[in-house]
Amino acid sequence: MKYIYSFLIAVFLISFTAQSQTLSGIVKDSDGNTLPSASVLADGETGTFCDFNGNYRIEGLSLGKHTIEFGFIGYIKKSVEIEIAIGMNTLNVRLKEDAVMINDVIVVGYGVQRKKEVTGSITKIDALKITSIQTPSFEAALQGQAAGVQVSQSSGAAGAGSLIRIRGIASISGSGDPLVVVDGIPITQEYFLNRRAGYGGGFNNNPLASINPNDIESVEILKDAAATGIYGSRGANGVILITTKRGTSKTSFEYSSRVGFSQAASRPNMMNTEEYLTIRQEAWENDGGTGYVWLPHMSTSTDSPASRREAYMRAMQTDTDWVDETTGTGMKNAHSFGARTGGDNWSMYSGFAYDENESYLLGNSYTRISGRMNLDLDLAPWAKLIFSGSMSQGRNQRVSMAWSGGLGRAMSQAMPYMPVRYENDTLVNGVSYQAGDFYQWNTNWNMVAEREMKKWRSTENRSFTNAQLILTPIENLHVKFNGGFDQMNVEEDIWEPEVYNNYLDQGNLYSNTILNWNLGATADYRVEIDDTQAISLLVGSEYQRSDNYSWDYYFPNASGPVYGSDSLQAILDTADKRVNLPTQHSFLSYFSRVNYALKDKYFFQATMRIDGSSRFGRNSRYGFFPAVSAGWVVSDENWFATEKISFLKVRSSIGRTGSANIPDYARFGTYSPTNNGITYAGDSILYPLQPANPNLKWESTRTIDGSVEIGLYEDRIAVEIGAYHKWSTDVLMNVSVPASTGFTNYWDNVGTVMNRGIELSIKSYNTTGRFQWTTELNVSKNYNEIIDIGEYTPDAISGGSNDSRVIVGSPIGSFFLVEHSHIDAETGLPVYIDLEGNETFEYSNDIRKYVGDGLPDFIGGMTNSFSCGNWDLTALVSFSMGAKIFDSSAKRQLGVVSDWNMRTELFDRWQQPGDEATFPILTLDETTYSLPSGFPWWNTSLFIYDASYLRLRNLTLGYNVPGGNDIRLAFNATNLFTLTNFPGLDPEVVRDFENAQDRNMSANVNYLTPPQERSFTFSITANF
Amino acid sequence: MKYLKELRTPLFVAAIAIATMTFHSCDKLLVFEPGEVILAEDAINTSEDLQRLLVSTYDVLGNLYDGRVQIVNDLRGDNLAEPDNNNDYKAVYNRETTFFTGINGGIYTDFYYAIYRSNVVLGSFNLVDELSSEERNRIAAEARFVRAVCHLGAVKMFAQPYGYTSDNSHLGIPLRLEATQEPLPRASVGDVYSAVIDDFIFAAENLPTMNGPYATSDAANAYLAHMHFLMQDWTSAVGYCDAVIGSGHYELDDDLNRFESGIVNVETVFGIQSYMNSENLEDASFVDFRCESLRDNYRSDNNPTPQLSLSSDYVDWWNGLGEGSGDQRGDWFTAGERNFCNRFNGLDVFNVPLIHLTGLLLIRAESYAELNINLASAIGDINAIRSRAGSTLLSENADATLVRDAARIEYRKETLCEGTWVEQLQRRGTMGENITIRGGSWDCPGMALQFSNTENTVAGFELNPEGGCL
Repeated sequence: MKYIYSFLIAVFLISFTAQSQTLSGIVKDSDGNTLPSASVLADGETGTFCDFNGNYRIEGLSLGKHTIEFGFIGYIKKSVEIEIAIGMNTLNVRLKEDAVMINDVIVVGYGVQRKKEVTGSITKIDALKITSIQTPSFEAALQGQAAGVQVSQSSGAAGAGSLIRIRGIASISGSGDPLVVVDGIPITQEYFLNRRAGYGGGFNNNPLASINPNDIESVEILKDAAATGIYGSRGANGVILITTKRGTSKTSFEYSSRVGFSQAASRPNMMNTEEYLTIRQEAWENDGGTGYVWLPHMSTSTDSPASRREAYMRAMQTDTDWVDETTGTGMKNAHSFGARTGGDNWSMYSGFAYDENESYLLGNSYTRISGRMNLDLDLAPWAKLIFSGSMSQGRNQRVSMAWSGGLGRAMSQAMPYMPVRYENDTLVNGVSYQAGDFYQWNTNWNMVAEREMKKWRSTENRSFTNAQLILTPIENLHVKFNGGFDQMNVEEDIWEPEVYNNYLDQGNLYSNTILNWNLGATADYRVEIDDTQAISLLVGSEYQRSDNYSWDYYFPNASGPVYGSDSLQAILDTADKRVNLPTQHSFLSYFSRVNYALKDKYFFQATMRIDGSSRFGRNSRYGFFPAVSAGWVVSDENWFATEKISFLKVRSSIGRTGSANIPDYARFGTYSPTNNGITYAGDSILYPLQPANPNLKWESTRTIDGSVEIGLYEDRIAVEIGAYHKWSTDVLMNVSVPASTGFTNYWDNVGTVMNRGIELSIKSYNTTGRFQWTTELNVSKNYNEIIDIGEYTPDAISGGSNDSRVIVGSPIGSFFLVEHSHIDAETGLPVYIDLEGNETFEYSNDIRKYVGDGLPDFIGGMTNSFSCGNWDLTALVSFSMGAKIFDSSAKRQLGVVSDWNMRTELFDRWQQPGDEATFPILTLDETTYSLPSGFPWWNTSLFIYDASYLRLRNLTLGYNVPGGNDIRLAFNATNLFTLTNFPGLDPEVVRDFENAQDRNMSANVNYLTPPQERSFTFSITANF
Repeated sequence: MKYLKELRTPLFVAAIAIATMTFHSCDKLLVFEPGEVILAEDAINTSEDLQRLLVSTYDVLGNLYDGRVQIVNDLRGDNLAEPDNNNDYKAVYNRETTFFTGINGGIYTDFYYAIYRSNVVLGSFNLVDELSSEERNRIAAEARFVRAVCHLGAVKMFAQPYGYTSDNSHLGIPLRLEATQEPLPRASVGDVYSAVIDDFIFAAENLPTMNGPYATSDAANAYLAHMHFLMQDWTSAVGYCDAVIGSGHYELDDDLNRFESGIVNVETVFGIQSYMNSENLEDASFVDFRCESLRDNYRSDNNPTPQLSLSSDYVDWWNGLGEGSGDQRGDWFTAGERNFCNRFNGLDVFNVPLIHLTGLLLIRAESYAELNINLASAIGDINAIRSRAGSTLLSENADATLVRDAARIEYRKETLCEGTWVEQLQRRGTMGENITIRGGSWDCPGMALQFSNTENTVAGFELNPEGGCL
């Protein structure tokens, strides 16, 4: 019997061991939140995924020791050894967030790298940071997010662009903006299209406005030569890589809706009628005038005292607030929908968005409709096709602004004593007006009339299409062929009725089309030489070509704008038009990159790029751009064991990048076309246009940089400190040459510019647990200096009509004005300082000097995020210190009393001996201030101000609706308040520019530029 | 897949080989030439090209002398009142131009556009095959004529006058005799005048007698006459005047209007043409206005507040002469709160004479007076002009001083709004007369306009001192 029992027991035991055991549990993160779909792998063989609630279950495990590995993207993998017992086993784990994201992938030029391996200086910005802030165009949301990247939003106008400077500015006449690459296509970046026909209206067009922020997966900013070197030819001012969303095999949807409104963040303080008349009368009497002062558009200086009195009394009866007439509240609403889906060998992302954005400028709005489809298709195990395509249309209801009209005129020539409309029937200069007609001065200058009568719409149709074929003939070898096409068409459609322009009903259509092709092929191969060494090699070639076409159409006697009329559209073919041949340029590049990794802690990279540009002549066409970089993950060393420091990496790079941002035909000497249409005495003429410079060549920048990345307290605090030195030579300058040479401008490689600086970024999880508080801070300091400009003087390069000049020893964008000292208490006259430092009453252009520059010393941003349960609060503060601003329009608003309205600060003026005042004795005569007669432009440092500011850029309060659905409600306020000493409208300003040189040289100049907008929005986002 | 591994090396070699080959063959992908415009090296091939480039120099003259230069010169003198509201004109009027003031910089730049183009013509004869030596001389003479007109016009505006220093070593303007890009310093006024005279002499010898609207040998001689008059070389001035007046090509106009539409006034030795492709403005489908600055700044019939008006100094002087109601040139202005110049009223398009017979006659008369010879001939010329105008004739027994004064009176009257009076005031200043213009001496610094800001872009150029005239 004993044997039978043993047998039965043995059988029983055997059956148990042979029977599967189960292991189940919950996977959570360090805060206790479940991690849906986390992966669970037993012994490297049996795997499963957690469900939506983080629960997992593995069956079929034998008794005994097993190794279970848990993983989730963004979290550190955890391996647990467990002894499986009979029956049900439970194992709950918590995974720690990978603060340093060392296993994250970063998009680099032509590929991806693990962040750990990256030896260049790259900052990645997550898409959520871009969509969570209300901006006219997506790039403004980059402000304060990356060390060394200065983003200044230009103004509050709808669709307004931003000025981006990465590690200072190295170009003078060539464009200084970073290269923007969308899914591998360097896109067209033209800021001056609407200036071509003279139709800027005080606003530069924005080539980035048509990009839908909801399509963006990530933005990588490449800052140093190692990173930008792979884009060698145009990477000298940095590169912004935009990657759009791709599909996943799991189907998911994202939806968001946002509504809100905006107002001007600050309001100009122009005088009302009584204030202005008082000031003007005082100026008149100071100049020795008797009786009532004459008023522009009402009376003249030679009128009889009786006429002047009558005009003055008439003026007193009207008080128009032109700022109110041109500004208000703008409404915003935006909706977007995205879907990801896929199957075994394909995945797709598609998205649609509608974004309607009114600015606080009455009549001004930017509406964008966009759609995208990104498709990944596995054609075969060794062939993959990636397709990305998007189309968008941006429609900007334009109004005049700045010097051209609108709010700008409300801050300048619109007098408060002028009514918007005539109250009664009136006869003026022989023309009779009825009650209710618009009041006109200087023909069509009434801004309300312009807004109501003139129809002006700017439409941009943009498409980005990119296809890439990836072949993998053998393991680890990828051969990619890609083609991209960026098509941009901008049309300004303007119509004016006869009653507005006193001439005739007329329509104008200015059209610009830019076609940008990009073709390339790369091959990359990765070899693991042995356990510790890996090499990857990339070679490739790329060709880019851009054709820029422009047409203008003129429709006399049109009854309405082209966009509202089918018949006019039909007439377009036969209309009076001027068709131009395109301007074209191309780049041809060959590049290669070698990466060597040793023991997964020593990384080396070398890149080489040869670029040819059609903009240069045969002898100087090609530029040679190498870069070398290295990185060392010190914390992976065996000897490195410090409790506090969980991650330590040092990296450094040196390399050369270039820039070729000049007009396409700058090197050619040219003459007018044969049929230029100009004649004298009926005979046709031929004349020279521009002088030749066949020696024009690449502008080149040598960059050295290095940084240290530290993770402290198990990556609870991540710190990165970097320093760089950029030395740019052969800087392209469009110098003004002596007029006696017969030309006015000449392109040449002349200058040398240096930028150097340090950057610091810190990300810290201050508290975790139920109440979480995370801080991200970045601060950077850049020092910019012009080293050399050949034999030219500061006046050789100027920032358009702004008073900025190139001065050796000072930064690009230096203000060159007469220095103002104070107001003399005895006489009320302004006192200037001459070149020797002596006080003088004499104003002269000969005593102009450097009085400040528009480049900041420190810039940065700090984001604090708080979350508690389902609620979260994020505040982004951005700051800039040390820059000066030149309030150029203040020259007239606070200077000689003229035909401009003035600001109320002028009340602090000198009135009698002994007064200490900010502003001098009031006068109508510029020579009182020793200005040359006929020149009321008071170009002195009195209007240079400290533009340091700290601004609460973004405040978001969010609520994640509890329950299974992923729904979030958020309330967002942008530009809530600003701390600054600048008395003018806004210390953050980017005015409209005339050309690329003006854009580089005249940072921080304000000329009637509309202030930033303050907006409040409410949004709902749902993922399901 | 073993065999693919062995293909590794060949694959790389192939990739590099392809890259190298494409390197050479694809260079043409990088060649784009501007579409519409003509490359400089291809621009001049035939004599037509040269002629068209030459005509482009006249085009610039037409833009300069449509009134711009004339007005700026008159504003420096004492004939005009303060401009209404144009800040640039005010700066010139107060003789306080700076290099920021637009109008002087613009005029300066235009002068040198024409000079550059003339120099290109002069340097391009080797590019053109089929030129006869006559054609070549004519083209060269015209180019040198325009170059001389522009150098002369510029040196009279941007420097102190000839005679300001005894040897004329005072600074003038850059002298451009070649089409190069190097910056040049200012040459002395003496050197500029010498070079200009050389150019005009060559032009006088090689220009045809008739040349359509373009320069003729008479025109060159007329300029030489004016120049030598300013240089106080009376004998040479008389000689050059005789060459032009004695040619018989010009006669005194019957009526007082020298600004004609569609036809060239009989007195015009050289002038600017406003072209219409029909006799009448109403029928013309193409009009090339080269008179706009004069027309739009002075006309008061279609504009109650024209920019420019005459000074009370001029009107008082005119009325004080006592020739009174008989002189029909009194219709050329209307006195009032502002004294308007009526010479261009009713005219929309007209030709602008730069040198005319009346002016030459008066210069010759004044030269005779300075030399105290041929006074009878001088008196005859002056009286021809006076009788045309209907004013009191000069006595036949007038002495040299009276003749000289009469010539000056007629000159100031006849050239109203023509921009050639201030240079006479400056000449008289260099001769020792005490000339002041609105309280400022004839040689105060601001009388020489300031250069364009672009001259200041290369170190070493000496700008003019500013102001000092008020």
